[in-house]
Amino acid sequence: MSAPASVRLEEVTKRYPLLTRRGRLHSLKGALLGGELWRLNREEGGFEALKDVSFEVAPGETVGVIGPNGSGKSTLLKLVAGILRPSSGTVDVRGRVTALIELGAGFHPEISGRDNALVNGMMLGLSKAEVLRRLPGIVEFSGIGAFIDQPVKTYSSGMYVRLGFAVAVAVEPDVLVVDEILAVGDEAFAHRCLDRIAQLQRQGTAILLVSHDLGLVEQLADRALYLRGGSPVLLGTAGAVVARYRSDVASEESVGEAQVGTPRRWGNGDVTLDAVELVDRGGRPVRLLSSGEAAGIRLAYTAKAAKTDFVFGIAISREDGVHVFGTNTELDGWTSERLDGSGEVVVEFPALELAPGRYLVDAAVHSKAGLAYDYACEALAFTVAAPVGWPGSYAPRHAWVPRGPAMRPPAT
Amino acid sequence: MITSLYRQRALLAVLVMRDLKARYRGTFLGYLWSLLNPLLLLAVYTIVFTFVIPARGATTVPYPLFLFAGLLPWMFASGALLDSAVVLADNGPLLKKVVCPPEVFPAVTVLSHLIHHLLALPVLLIAIAVAAGLGELRFPWTVALLPVALLLWTVPVAGLSLAVAGLAVHFKDLKDLLHNLLNLFFFLTPIIYTVSQVPAGILRRSVMANPVAPLVEIYRGVVLLGQVPPLGTWLWATLVAVVFWWFGAFVFGRLRETIAETV
Repeated sequence: MSAPASVRLEEVTKRYPLLTRRGRLHSLKGALLGGELWRLNREEGGFEALKDVSFEVAPGETVGVIGPNGSGKSTLLKLVAGILRPSSGTVDVRGRVTALIELGAGFHPEISGRDNALVNGMMLGLSKAEVLRRLPGIVEFSGIGAFIDQPVKTYSSGMYVRLGFAVAVAVEPDVLVVDEILAVGDEAFAHRCLDRIAQLQRQGTAILLVSHDLGLVEQLADRALYLRGGSPVLLGTAGAVVARYRSDVASEESVGEAQVGTPRRWGNGDVTLDAVELVDRGGRPVRLLSSGEAAGIRLAYTAKAAKTDFVFGIAISREDGVHVFGTNTELDGWTSERLDGSGEVVVEFPALELAPGRYLVDAAVHSKAGLAYDYACEALAFTVAAPVGWPGSYAPRHAWVPRGPAMRPPAT
Repeated sequence: MITSLYRQRALLAVLVMRDLKARYRGTFLGYLWSLLNPLLLLAVYTIVFTFVIPARGATTVPYPLFLFAGLLPWMFASGALLDSAVVLADNGPLLKKVVCPPEVFPAVTVLSHLIHHLLALPVLLIAIAVAAGLGELRFPWTVALLPVALLLWTVPVAGLSLAVAGLAVHFKDLKDLLHNLLNLFFFLTPIIYTVSQVPAGILRRSVMANPVAPLVEIYRGVVLLGQVPPLGTWLWATLVAVVFWWFGAFVFGRLRETIAETV
């Protein structure tokens, strides 16, 4: 985190003035003659949508913002996007910021998709030449084809948002602000959106993501911010913050039983797992992988007392509970000698050939006899993306070799 | 304000094109309507004021032309102002969901109305040329000063459009109020009559005091009458233009931050 933050908020407060019956100014006469125009920017009182929020987003980092309705999530995004100004505090954003708040916002129905893409692209900060250069990519990504020259009023709602998304990500922003929009389009497009977001993450785009889809936040975000009534409740790793939010919601609903999806964990605590992370080839934590990519699962531990009897293990299962793979150090033939203090072990996969979908990881450290020091169920969730929606759990590299049938290979 | 608009000039150009494309999309005659509308208007005036109510004597040039030369810039101004009252509301999604500077929208409104005005100008110039050919008047070579006259119109209209756009976000009534104010000013301004027709006294003084009057005088003087108005009129018009621009830019500047959250 030594690199300068892409987004930095310091004690940001946003106050909305309470509107009078006619709006913010009391009368036209007052505005023009009574000096209300002068006092306008020195409002006190009103409704505080956001109170003293401070956090940073590093380049390449994704921060999820969660919380109940009316907790100030969208206000926060609009402040970062520069649509709103803070009432106090500072919002610092480095580089080009793109807001995906409503896809296709402001498309003019009467003019063609091409012209709309041009206008929106330029509003997002590209020059005309840059938009024109990226236009073929936009058309391809959105899958709109020849419709690009039709007025957008003829588009289906799916085409509309696809074009909106394609334009917004074509900008290659330094900071991307996303509000609850990945739920649009069909499965295939949703996958492409996630792929594209993963690509932006790798390129170092700082992403701020608001969503009620907690699973998505866990998948995509490194850290999360939990807001309630405009105030920050918790800022931390996505898994921990989501768990806290879930338990808050659960206790509010006064449901006694454990919530589905709440991490279950047991053990005597002699050794604790401090972090369970999926890391990419470079060792950076990720939550989204392409099928067949190299990856590792990193377990960070702290031993309270020195141990000679210990086994580290992991198990991967599909979201629907189907077991996919599991192993531990004993099974793989390692002999445990000594465990003391803090450290980490990584299970490396040269190519994690999983079928596209969402996977959960259980991680554990226990004795050879099976006494759990720390056993964390669903300690990690990650998503595997693939160009094709292969069913099942295993997606080995493969090729079709027709010897007889006349077939054309897929266009690449 | 000016520097911000200058930085956004490429976006302005694209938005103006969008406006123009959207306006005539799907119509058979397309941009020809920009020519045809004023032409038909001129034809109606010519018929009415030649055969139905012959209005001669008051003006040195044929009355339909006199009227038309006054109406064209007025239509530019009133059209731009009325559209400015709704332009921010119309583009609300862009302001609220995409980051963009709000001042481009009134600017685009003024520019696209200016372009419509420029498209209508050939109709007026050809009509004047025809009238000159028929010996009704002498072709006014002062028309070379037309760009200056247009600038004197565009600057205050742009300023007022900014003020109207910004205020209309907070006061929805402004649109209706503006409509009536424009009607009132239309008759207070020497468009359908000359100043000399107004009885001397309070009435003439109020017409003379109308800040729009010198703009009409200059425009019609150079484009039709072949007269270059006296220096005082030019100075007065320049003052009006600068004050209106300054006023509009000031009001808009104060309201700018409130637009995205109110619109």
